[in-house]
Amino acid sequence: MLEVSGINVSFGQHRALSDAALSVSRGELVVILGANGAGKSSLLKAIAGLVKCGPGKRVTLDGRDLSALPAHLIVEDGLALVPEGRGVFGELTVAENLLMGANPKRARAIEAEQRDKVLTLFPRLGERLKQMVRTMSGGEQQMVAIGRALMSNPELLLLDEPSLGLSPLLVKELFAAIGSIRETGMGVLMVEQNARESLRIADRGYVIANGRVTGSGSAAELQSDDSVRRAYLGGVT
Amino acid sequence: MTNAVLTGLVLGGMYALIAMGLTLQYGVARIMNLAYGEFLIGSAFASYFLFTGWAVNPLVGLIVIVPVSFVVSFLLYKIFLTPLVRRARTRDALEVDSILATFGLMFIVQGILLTMFGGAYFSYSFLAIPVTVVGEVLAMNRLVAFALAVVLGTVLYLLLTRTRIGTSIRAVAVDPASAPLVAINVPQLSALAFAAGGALVASAGVLISMFLTFSATSGVVFTMKALIVVVMGGIGNLMGCLVAGMLLGLSEALVATYIDPGLTIAVNFALFLGVLLVRPAGIFGRGGR
Ligand SMILES: Nc1ncnc2c1ncn2[C@@H]1O[C@H](COP(=O)(O)OP(=O)(O)O)[C@@H](O)[C@H]1O
Ligand SMILES: [Mg+2]
Repeated sequence: MLEVSGINVSFGQHRALSDAALSVSRGELVVILGANGAGKSSLLKAIAGLVKCGPGKRVTLDGRDLSALPAHLIVEDGLALVPEGRGVFGELTVAENLLMGANPKRARAIEAEQRDKVLTLFPRLGERLKQMVRTMSGGEQQMVAIGRALMSNPELLLLDEPSLGLSPLLVKELFAAIGSIRETGMGVLMVEQNARESLRIADRGYVIANGRVTGSGSAAELQSDDSVRRAYLGGVT
Repeated sequence: MTNAVLTGLVLGGMYALIAMGLTLQYGVARIMNLAYGEFLIGSAFASYFLFTGWAVNPLVGLIVIVPVSFVVSFLLYKIFLTPLVRRARTRDALEVDSILATFGLMFIVQGILLTMFGGAYFSYSFLAIPVTVVGEVLAMNRLVAFALAVVLGTVLYLLLTRTRIGTSIRAVAVDPASAPLVAINVPQLSALAFAAGGALVASAGVLISMFLTFSATSGVVFTMKALIVVVMGGIGNLMGCLVAGMLLGLSEALVATYIDPGLTIAVNFALFLGVLLVRPAGIFGRGGR
């Protein structure tokens, strides 16, 4: 349902992405692997309309052309990004962050229903609705960020390194939650440093190096691929 | 003592109201509007003109002047300030640009007022009826102004904390970069916040004109006080505006009564510096509520 091609991103002289392309089908969990600085975040931001792209950009969601839309309209169209560093409103409460998540028109009619789903997925948020997000732990803030994105009733969820800075136990919990989000039929495109855990729940994956998509395959193929194992799985099985 | 406190409360309420408008313009729209006080004085003159020329009750005048100021501010943002916003690479750059642009605007508005009204002080007598409050005699117009400031401040607070659009405005104040992620059209909302600030300062101008004298050049004093209150309370923070505004009003009234009226400005800055030394981000910190 998501088709992306021709993504070129430059920061001054520095070329961060060259002609990147990928796709995600409905209900599919796709992971993007790559070293630091490979261009993973830039790719997600380009899809979400947050960075300027060179010519050739083409992004469609279920055939609807999102290529030229500003970021706030892309969310309206059903594509929600949880950015690296979370991007939550620290000075607002959990409840207010979730309220903001439901800003798009597509989210309004089912807001209460969606909120119940989010609070079922992350029960801890239900106990902390009145808490200022700034005062929460990293894991809880990540739940707020994902919960806020889900409130927009997206067709596709983009996650940029959701496990960053979390304890191994929390990472397991988080990936279980992400797995169950996919079960609802929503597409998930996730950038991860934690290749081992993410490939375990993913259907497919892409590998990015130096701003280019250098490989792709099913999760099983990537897990057994020698170069992927050496680079991202620490060489062990 | 009671009289000084009552005067201080009324003054403080006005300062809080003025500061709330500036905190919307500065904290949300990121425009440091040096012509802010000129909008206050412009509204005071509009009220004077309506009252003395057409016998329009200033409270009725509010209904005309506030929406006009809203529209004028909205257009000002859309036509003159949007190019600056587009061009600015960072928030700091926008701040510098907006200071320069609105500094010019200040002289334009002031010049227009000077040609129309000259440099003399103006006032008009509306509801100058003595009333007794806790044993002290106070003019009715001050009480009415104070009551309206309380009502307007409360309505604004409830709008910003209890509604989706108000929460969106606060979201832009605390994290403009993340706001598009929740479908907020930041330029559009900034224009709205700037216009709302213009509406608030206009209401303050009308209320103040009911009991203070003013001249074409008094705007800068109000800009300065609004800025002090906003920074003291924490940029973008409404509760901070209220507390800091009251502090400023009370300290001015007490100092003027017991020490020397000439010292009020000095006390303004002493208070300002004191708060900034102890709490650099203001009494309540940035953003929030
Ligand atoms: N705002 C920016 N300004 C300049 N360079 C940037 C900016 N964002 C990213 N880059 C550069 O682009 C490259 C790709 O960055 P990024 O997409 O964040 O990589 P990843 O997420 O894979 O670690 C890096 O070399 C990074 O330094
Ligand atoms: Mg990254």
